[in-house]
Amino acid sequence: MGKIFKTKFTVATIVLIPACIGINYLGKLIASVLKLPLWLDSIGTCIGACLGGPIIGAICGALNNLIYGLTTGDNITLIYALTSLGIGLVVGILARLGFMETFLKALVCAVGGGLIAVVISTPLNVIFWGGTTGNVWGDALFALTQANGLPVWLGSFLDEVVVDVPDKLITIVVVYYILKGIPKKLTALYDVNAEVERLD
Amino acid sequence: MSSFSLYVDKGTWLHKLHPYTKLLYILVAIVIPIIGGNLYFFLITIGISLGLLICGRTLRRALPLVAFSFTLIAVIFLVQGLFYHDNETVLFQLWKLTFYKEGVLYATRIGGNILNMLLSFAVFVLCTSPQELVEELEKSGFSPKFGYIINSVFQIIPQMMKSKNTIMDAQRSRGMETEGSVMVRVKAFFPMISPVVMSSLVNTRERAIALEVRGFGRKNPKSYLSERTKYVGDRIAVLVLIMILAAVIAWRVVTCL
Repeated sequence: MGKIFKTKFTVATIVLIPACIGINYLGKLIASVLKLPLWLDSIGTCIGACLGGPIIGAICGALNNLIYGLTTGDNITLIYALTSLGIGLVVGILARLGFMETFLKALVCAVGGGLIAVVISTPLNVIFWGGTTGNVWGDALFALTQANGLPVWLGSFLDEVVVDVPDKLITIVVVYYILKGIPKKLTALYDVNAEVERLD
Repeated sequence: MSSFSLYVDKGTWLHKLHPYTKLLYILVAIVIPIIGGNLYFFLITIGISLGLLICGRTLRRALPLVAFSFTLIAVIFLVQGLFYHDNETVLFQLWKLTFYKEGVLYATRIGGNILNMLLSFAVFVLCTSPQELVEELEKSGFSPKFGYIINSVFQIIPQMMKSKNTIMDAQRSRGMETEGSVMVRVKAFFPMISPVVMSSLVNTRERAIALEVRGFGRKNPKSYLSERTKYVGDRIAVLVLIMILAAVIAWRVVTCL
């Protein structure tokens, strides 16, 4: 198990974290420009998790929400720092276990990331907003379940599933193709098992 | 820098307060309604936050934040007012929709909570420079690396926004469709995000090398660019906040007895 969580805190990983937080912000921005009913704000977290490992992924996720919450006044995201942390951690673990190697395995990884987001977000939604998520499709479904007398947590759970699982699928597909495309000299910076060869 | 952070230096006493004092204010403002347990406490804390925003001459900048949250609050009112599970007493009917008292009360509580949190955070966010916050965090023992991460986010995002605009124009001129059905828009997402992400990842390598060369990884103690002068207002503010909190706790205890 030690190998999965092995993390290098070099300058390269520290520089990676702000870049990933920027990518998260950009994903969210482009999603809103295209009026997509998804968040798409965890691309950077997933890249960080795949390159740097679960610990870096978790740090990216949590810091991401903390920074935006404390500087842009969007304190609704602040609460979801926990969710982002979970996504980074789970995607990082799955990536280390080899779930980002082929496209089909990456899809499994996406579903894993989506489910952990659902499991962490649902209680937060119920506690803070009484079950709604602020997403049009999800909230319409939530209203439907409540009208039919289903329990709040089940409605909120479904509300999250409809949004988060497709969201993470698109996220991981983007991450998969990007990681396939970046040059080896870059990925080598983050390889935990790399060893420096000395000539003396 | 300024395009991303909402902070503008207006030089009022609120801007001069220590970041930690303002953080304490957020805590107090959120805790008061929870301790008080009464809906009217939301009115009080929201009122205080609005008053502070006026004192800091930033009320107008806070309005977009509030406007944004109104859609969320409206959805909550609609869903809870119509379908809350304990709904019994009919409050009013609008066309074919029946709003219930229990659901509307529940939605008021959530809405009050959202507005309260939003405004108390706005007091902090609009009147605290992120650089100042980072520097104070470093002085109280956070790692400078952590400080670098936060400061660099503020530099990276405007850069990325610029390259995003360039790439969007380039892809549009190549005939990418950005409007239409959901599938068309989902497809447009990929050619827009990947070039920016790629270039920013490639940039990290250069940045890492540049930082390493300048001794970023060294462990010796760091010095600070600006010294903070002590401000009398901080002590007064902390004292007042603690007194208010104590008063609310006392009120709750007395009413429970």
